[in-house]
Formats: sequence, C-alpha cells, structure tokens
Amino acid sequence: MSKFTKEMVDDYADKLLIGLTPEENKQVLDEFDVIDKNCDIVNSIPNISSVVPMTHCLDDFEVELREDVAEESVPIDELLSNCEQAIDREIEVPKVVGK
Amino acid sequence: MSKYYATIGLEMHCEGSETNSKVFSPAKNEYSDIPNENVVAIDMGFPGILPVVNKEAVRMSIMMASVLHARIPEYMYFERKNYYYPDLPKGYQITQNPPEECVGNGGYIDIERDDESTFRVEIDNLHLEEDAARSTHLYDTTMINYNRAGAPLFELVTKPCIHSADDAVSFLEYIRTIYQYCGISEADAKKGQIRCDVNVSISEDENSLGTKVEMKNVNSFAAVRDAINYEIQRQSDLKDAGRYDEVVQETRRWDEESGTTITMRSKEDALDYKYFVDPNIPKYKIEPEWVKEIQSSIPELPSERKEKYINKLGLTPFETKKLIRDKSLSDYFEECLQLGINPKEASNWISENIVAYMNKNELEISDIYLNPKMLKFILDKLSEGTISSKQAKEVLVKVLDEKKEPSNFINKENAQISDPDELGKIIDEIISSNPAQVEQYRSGKDRIFDFFVGQVMKNTRGKANPITTKELLKEKLK
Amino acid sequence: MKYMNKSIEELHESLKKGEVTSKELIDESLELSHEVQEKYNAFVTILDNAKETEITDNLLSGIPFGVKDNYSTKGVLSTGSSNTLKNYVPFFDATAYENLKNAGAIMVNKTVMDELGMGGTGTTGHTGVVRNPWDKTRMCAGSSSGSACAVAAGVYPYATGSDTGDSIRKPAAYCGIVGYKPTYGMISRYGLFAFASSLDHLGVLTRNVKDAAIVVDNMKGIDKRDMTSWDSSDINLTKSLTGNIKGKKLCYIKEICDINNYKNPSDELKKQLKNFMDKIELIRNNGIQVDEVSIDQTLLNAIASTYVIISCAEATSNMSNLTGLAFGPRGEGDNYIDAIKDHRTKGFSPLIKRRFVIGSYVLQKENQERYFKNAQRVRRLLVDEWKKLYKDYDAVILPVGTGPAKKLEGSSLDSLTEGTEALEEHLQVGNFGGFPSITIPDGFIDGLPVALNITGNCKDDENILNIAYGIESLMDYKNQIAKEEE
Repeated sequence: MSKFTKEMVDDYADKLLIGLTPEENKQVLDEFDVIDKNCDIVNSIPNISSVVPMTHCLDDFEVELREDVAEESVPIDELLSNCEQAIDREIEVPKVVGK
Repeated sequence: MSKYYATIGLEMHCEGSETNSKVFSPAKNEYSDIPNENVVAIDMGFPGILPVVNKEAVRMSIMMASVLHARIPEYMYFERKNYYYPDLPKGYQITQNPPEECVGNGGYIDIERDDESTFRVEIDNLHLEEDAARSTHLYDTTMINYNRAGAPLFELVTKPCIHSADDAVSFLEYIRTIYQYCGISEADAKKGQIRCDVNVSISEDENSLGTKVEMKNVNSFAAVRDAINYEIQRQSDLKDAGRYDEVVQETRRWDEESGTTITMRSKEDALDYKYFVDPNIPKYKIEPEWVKEIQSSIPELPSERKEKYINKLGLTPFETKKLIRDKSLSDYFEECLQLGINPKEASNWISENIVAYMNKNELEISDIYLNPKMLKFILDKLSEGTISSKQAKEVLVKVLDEKKEPSNFINKENAQISDPDELGKIIDEIISSNPAQVEQYRSGKDRIFDFFVGQVMKNTRGKANPITTKELLKEKLK
Repeated sequence: MKYMNKSIEELHESLKKGEVTSKELIDESLELSHEVQEKYNAFVTILDNAKETEITDNLLSGIPFGVKDNYSTKGVLSTGSSNTLKNYVPFFDATAYENLKNAGAIMVNKTVMDELGMGGTGTTGHTGVVRNPWDKTRMCAGSSSGSACAVAAGVYPYATGSDTGDSIRKPAAYCGIVGYKPTYGMISRYGLFAFASSLDHLGVLTRNVKDAAIVVDNMKGIDKRDMTSWDSSDINLTKSLTGNIKGKKLCYIKEICDINNYKNPSDELKKQLKNFMDKIELIRNNGIQVDEVSIDQTLLNAIASTYVIISCAEATSNMSNLTGLAFGPRGEGDNYIDAIKDHRTKGFSPLIKRRFVIGSYVLQKENQERYFKNAQRVRRLLVDEWKKLYKDYDAVILPVGTGPAKKLEGSSLDSLTEGTEALEEHLQVGNFGGFPSITIPDGFIDGLPVALNITGNCKDDENILNIAYGIESLMDYKNQIAKEEE
C-alpha cells in the first residue's frame, strides 16, 4: 500500500547513526504516509515549481562580511572540559578505519 | 603507452594560508605544532555556534575566479554538505554546491607545455569552502586536532578536458603559481596545502567517454602523474583483455608504496550529502564595483612575468620557466635586478648555482642564507677581477654552508691577482726561465701556450686572473 | 508570595525605594523554584548560589529570572533537556543571555523544555514531564514548557524561551501568560542550541505585555557573531507602548475562525471560537477595525507538513554535531561509527529520532524536489499571503489552538495526525516569515486559560506590541498567577 518500507526506514536511521526500535520504526512509517499525502496536496497547487524556494527566514538581510582579524583562541582546558576522552591536548576517538 | 584516448578531470583543493583568520570562524589561521592552539567554539562544533564569513577569503576567491575568466554570480551563498566523520565537528562542511552559485562558474585557463605548445583547460567551477580537522591514526585510536578545522579551502574543478598526465601536472603547477602570485596561498604541496582528486577514463576516441574512475587525495604532483599513468594503463589492460566491464565507476585511492590504485570501501560511494542552502549565512550581494576593484588589484601573474623576462630582459623561455615556477624564486630574481645585477647573470647564478644547492640540500629559497645583496657583492668582486669565476662559485657555496657574509671568504689571501704589473713581472720571469718553450711557441706551436698559462698558475697557486694572464702572455710572447 | 508575582516595574520601584533587596528577591524566587519543581517539574537546574546584583537604572537589575535550557550559559549546565547533553557545561554565554546579565538580571534556574526544542507538549525532556500549574493532569505545551510553567506559577516575572514553530506562543496560551517572539534576527541566535536555523527565534514569557517589551529591549541587538542579526538600536519597545490603538486595522482568517468550517466540532472548539469572536467584538467596540479575510484552504492545510519538513530537515543537519566525541557522554564502540551510534541511540528520545529520520529522508537528493524544496516553496507562498494582508492591516489576530491545555493522558501526543487543523498550526507562519508575534491570554474555558495571538509584519514590533498592550488592557487577564482548581 505505502511506498515506504520498514527496511527503508531502518536504512535512513542507520545512515544517521541512530538505532530505532520496531515500534519507533512503525511510527515513522505512519508519519511518512501523512507527510506524503500532504505533499500530494502541495504538488497540486498550480505552478508550484515556478515558485522560488525560501531558503532563509528573511529576504532582505543587511549583510556585512567579517573583517579578517584573528580572535583569541579558547584555552585548551575549556575546549576539552566536556570531553570524556582527551589525551594531552587532543581528543581521542576509537579507531577510524579506512581513508 | 595506451592506445586509447584518455580523459582526465581534476579537483584541486588549495589551502588558503594567507588569511589571518579562518573562513567561517574568527580563529587564527596559522599552522601550529601545538594541537588545538588556534581553536574557538565553532571549530569544534559546540551547540549554539554560528558561521561568520571572512571578507578577505571572499576577496581572494573573487580574484582567483577572475584570473580563471569565470563568471562571478550576483549573490554569494553557501550550502551544507552533511556527513559523519570525526574530523568534521559540525557534522557538515560549509561549501558551495552547484556550479551556478559558486564564486567562479565556468572559465578557462591556457597552459604552456615544456615544448612551448599551449592547451586550454575548461574550468567547471571554483568555490570557497572550509577544511576539516586533522586526524592522527594510532594503533587502535585516532587523535583529533582542530587547528586546521575551518581553515579556508579553495576548490577548483576542471571539466574533463585534459588528456595526458603531463598536461595534468603542467596545469596543476601553473595554478599553484597563480595562487602564490596572487598572495592567496603558499601552495606548498610538501606542507600538505594542496590535495587533488583525479578522475580518469579511457575511450576509443575523442568522441566518446568511458567509465570514470575517481582517485582521491593524491597529494603531490609526482603522485598525480604516476597515478594517472597507472590508472590509464590499468583500464587499458582490462579493455584490451575484453574485461572493460570490470572498470566500474568508483573511488580508488592512490597507494604510494605499491604504486597502484586500490578500491576504497564502496560504502563511501553510496553517500548522499543532502546538500541544502545554509540558512545561517544570508545571501551576500557581490557588488560589481568591488569586483572591479579586486580585478584591478590582481598582481603580476606568472604569464605576465614570463612576457617581461623574455621580451624585456632577453632571457630565453627555458631560463624564464626555471625562474617563474616559484614566486619566491622569481621575487628573488627581481630583487637582484633591482640591485643592479645583469638579468642574464642573475638568472644563471640563481638557476645554476643557488637552485642546485637548494635541491641538493632540500631547501626553499626562503630558507637560504645568501640574499640578493650578498650575491651582488660576490658578482661585483668577480667583475672587478678580485676573484675568479671558480672562486666566486666556491665563495657562494661557503656563504650558504657556513651562513657567513661573503666578505669573510674574499681577502688578500684568496684574492685573485689581476694587477697587470704584478702579473707582468711573474710572466717575464717565466718567459726568461723557459727559453726553449718560448722558441717553440714563436715557431708556431700554439698548443704550448697552455704550458705558460699553467706555469703562471703554478707560480701564483691558482690565483692569477686567467683572462689578464692570457692577454699579457699573448703580448709578451709575440 | 510577597514579590515574585509582581511586574518588573513594580519590582524595580520596590528595589529602588529599598523596600526589598535583590537578595531577598532571589531567596523568595529560589524557595518558589523548589516548590514548583516539586509540584510541576519545571527545572533542570536551580541555582541556589545565585548572587544579587547592584540596582541601576536598568529595570531588570536585581531581579531574578529563568533561562530555557537550550541557552548556552557559561559555567552552568545546559542540557537542551537531552541525554546527549546531560553533562554539558558551556564555556561561553549565549549573546542574549549575556545581554540580560549585563543589564543586572539574575538567572536563578534553567527551565525544562521539549528535547532540543523539537516538541510541542512539554513531555519529551530528559528529566520528565512538565505539568501545568493550572491543572496538574494537563500539559504546558512546548517546547518552552518549563519557562511558561514557572512564570505562570509566579516564580519570577519572566523567563526566556525559544520559538521555532510556536514554542513560546503556545505554552504561553496554555499557561495563561504572555509569550512574545520578536522579528527574526532582532535577538542574536548565537549560543542558542540550533533546532531549525531558518525558523529559530529567541523570545520571552511574561505575565503582561509591558514586561515582554522591557525584557526584549534588553535581549536584542545586532551581534557580529550572528550574520542574520540586524541593528535594532532605533527600536524602543517599552517606549512605544502608548496603549493608543484607535484606528488600527486587524484581520482574522475565516477558514480558521468560522465554526461552520468544521465538521462535528467539539464543545470545546465551539467555546474556543465563540470566546474569540466575543473578544473581536470587544475590540471592535473600542474603535479598532477588525475584518474577516480569506486564505486559500489548501495553503492553510499545507502549513503543518511544510513546518515538519523544513524543521526536521534543518534539525537533522544541525544536530549532527551531537556525536559524543568532543562533548557529551561518550558512546560505546570499538570504532567511531559504533561509538557515535551508541551515543545517539541512547541519548535521543523516540520523538526526535523519528523527526531526524524524516528530516534525513526529505533531504535525500532524489526526494528534495518533492518534499524539501516544495515545502520551501509553500513557505514562500504562505509568507507572501500574509505580507499581502499586511499591506492593508497592521496585524493578523487569531485564536491559539482548539482550546485550553490538553490532557497529558489520553490525547494523541505528538504524532502527526492526518488533517491537522490550521487552527493548531497557524502560529508557524510567524516562524516562516520571521514575523513578530505575541500571544496574550483572552479568557477561560472550563476554568482553564485560553489565548489569542497577534502577528504583524517584519520589524514592525513596536506597532505589534502596542496593539497587544492596548488589547490586553481591554480585558482582565493581565498579571494572572496560576491557581489549581480544587
């Protein structure tokens, strides 16, 4: 019936590095269906594809670029204060394979 | 050599080493041995951080885009490239995505080969983005250093229009010099400031395109040449053997040790980066006046210096090429000229003696002790006749080795004897002590002239000015 | 309760006169904090060591207030009500918080929210559900649930909040207080944990409109650390509150407010819309023109999914930094992928996991056109529609939701039910367009507070607040403190 499957949902979650329980998976499927139906409605709006997508909240920002002045670096103990695994001045993470 | 038509596309990443701060972060943009020394909150992706665009990095990107004859868009904006990796603290890289929004869209550059023929490289785009952190891989852990995270990165993507490894390298070398000449980057591959991704495919002829294979992170120009040649051969061999279907669209990595390309884990290929416009960076209008200002401030480019050296200074293309391939070297040469050194002389001494020394000792022009003023000093002594050409070369090397002023090595002891009276006396003595040889010379045995020269040298322990000696001898032996 | 139920100006007066000291206010506020925590679970952290400040001419000096837990507060735990940040102590302040600190305001607690801002009930925070001080069996809405609860319960005159889809303005409605979200970019977002960057706004919850003006006057300002912030130094919200609003023109949307539009409306809905129309009458009788206008029903119906798609997509990207590697509890795993996955699977609540998956789906290359880009297109259409209204009207006035606070048990919490009414979701248009938007209480239904919302055009905050101020004074719901029904 639905074009969405349990496997698809698991795949997306996996790519996000998140694990879902079967229950959560089912809820996502249900929500996908709702959104999809609404998107059908949206697609029925005449000339929808000629509308320019709104990527920012305002259209008329007064933008100023930052002058190239370097700021003081943050002290190392502050940078690492929330890290559970730091050695010397660096963050240690489990093995990165490949690359 | 493969009988097939090779098509190559390049993606060249060059670190913007010349800004004071990073591209979207105000932290210092400087290499440091000490890990995590140039880091602020945004570089580590803490919650609540926001990017702020560096004006100087934008200016540099517009300059480079102009040099590449690319179209500069009316508005500049950025997108997020989303993926997970420990060296990417925000979980996304801020970059520019489709060609239309990149700071440089389209464009071209003409490249000269060694044999002086030229070819044109079509550019797909130039865009500005940020660099990732540095990972150091240990046995079963990896250490992350965020000094480099957020540093400006200029990415240049060519169209697939290059057809040999040599051309690819010529292109990369030329672009490197442009980055240097424009003051955008030191562009030093040894410092890891240049990284290349290379796409290679082969086909029957120029009207068709084969399967494209990407090679990632090829980090020296020599490696680019080797990797391309290897890959062309690998693909050709498979095609010859009727196994072309084994050439698949994939990403491979160049393995320096084995001299081969190796398939990377295919998981990488399936990544969808979910690009979308970054809402934190408003669209910035690139004012045409600013672009004009930037374009008029483009410094003298390598091609312009080349023109000048050949047409105004009388150097040969060969000599010129050797000088301009590195901006610091070319600057050194120009400083010599400013001090009054003759261009040909300066060119010879630099290319032959100084560069030879640099190569032998693996030094950069910025590392050596001998500066143009010192070179002038030595060359002046040479033209005065105080020292011989051989001695000048020796002094040069001594200055470089011992890092002392040249005057330390030029003194009465070493000085060349050029005074005609002094030499004249010595020659008179030798002539009078060798009557037989004089007789032989005067009766037509020209070769014996060298005997007299040799005697003078022996007598003066090599310090006699050879030119003056020969002149005087010719006179006196008449 | 001696002082904490008063307005900012009253407190300032008392402080200046020496009738009470800053320390005494802090003590009272802390005591109330502990009581409220016991009863309603509004706080993640209570700062028992909060220090008094000097009383200056700044109205906020010496007065305690609350900060939503997605504001970075240097040296103080900031969790976003998420287990992924349960031990996170920032080393920098959010600019908006810093501004309040500089004004002499004193933070006494960090309030519970829906996890990372992604919820509308106040039930998804990692320290548990926030209960409504008017009725413990009901929700506060969200995500600024704790802030709304605390202000309604009289712990202090104001608390900061954030609003991405109605997260200040709906909790304000359910708790019978004022919730104000200024124009996008007026208050710097630097230091606010990002949920959806193009929709996130900072704002405030108070018990009257003037207090909201005073607080935002102090929070706002262009910030070089936020490229989307702009210079509002020529805007003085407090001074603009004259209360003189005769001649103003408002409009409400027929498709949302007309009871005849609804098939089988509940009693509650009928009461809600009747109450709203009564208030419209009241407003009209005081010399303000209020017209009924019409908006394409299809567009209105598209509001909810537009919001879900854009907010989930941006959230998925924004929260990719939550890996547990540089900060947050480290996950288990012998390679980085497993370590990150463990941290995120254990650290996120089921609701936002689902939201991330949706966000990820709509951003996939092959899906973007149909979902994400179309949602951005509908956003523009809706914003354009509202902007058309602003050519003729000062503001759009609408009821907030289908009725008072929903029950915690027995309502379908958070899942996206089909055909979600525009009535529940119209506040999101305020986020789509960055419009200044304020909710003020406008009555009671079955003993529980309900509210109306006034939304205006970008940068027209002075006008909008003044209109709200004027309308507030026509009714009797100013400065009310929550009272649980016996």
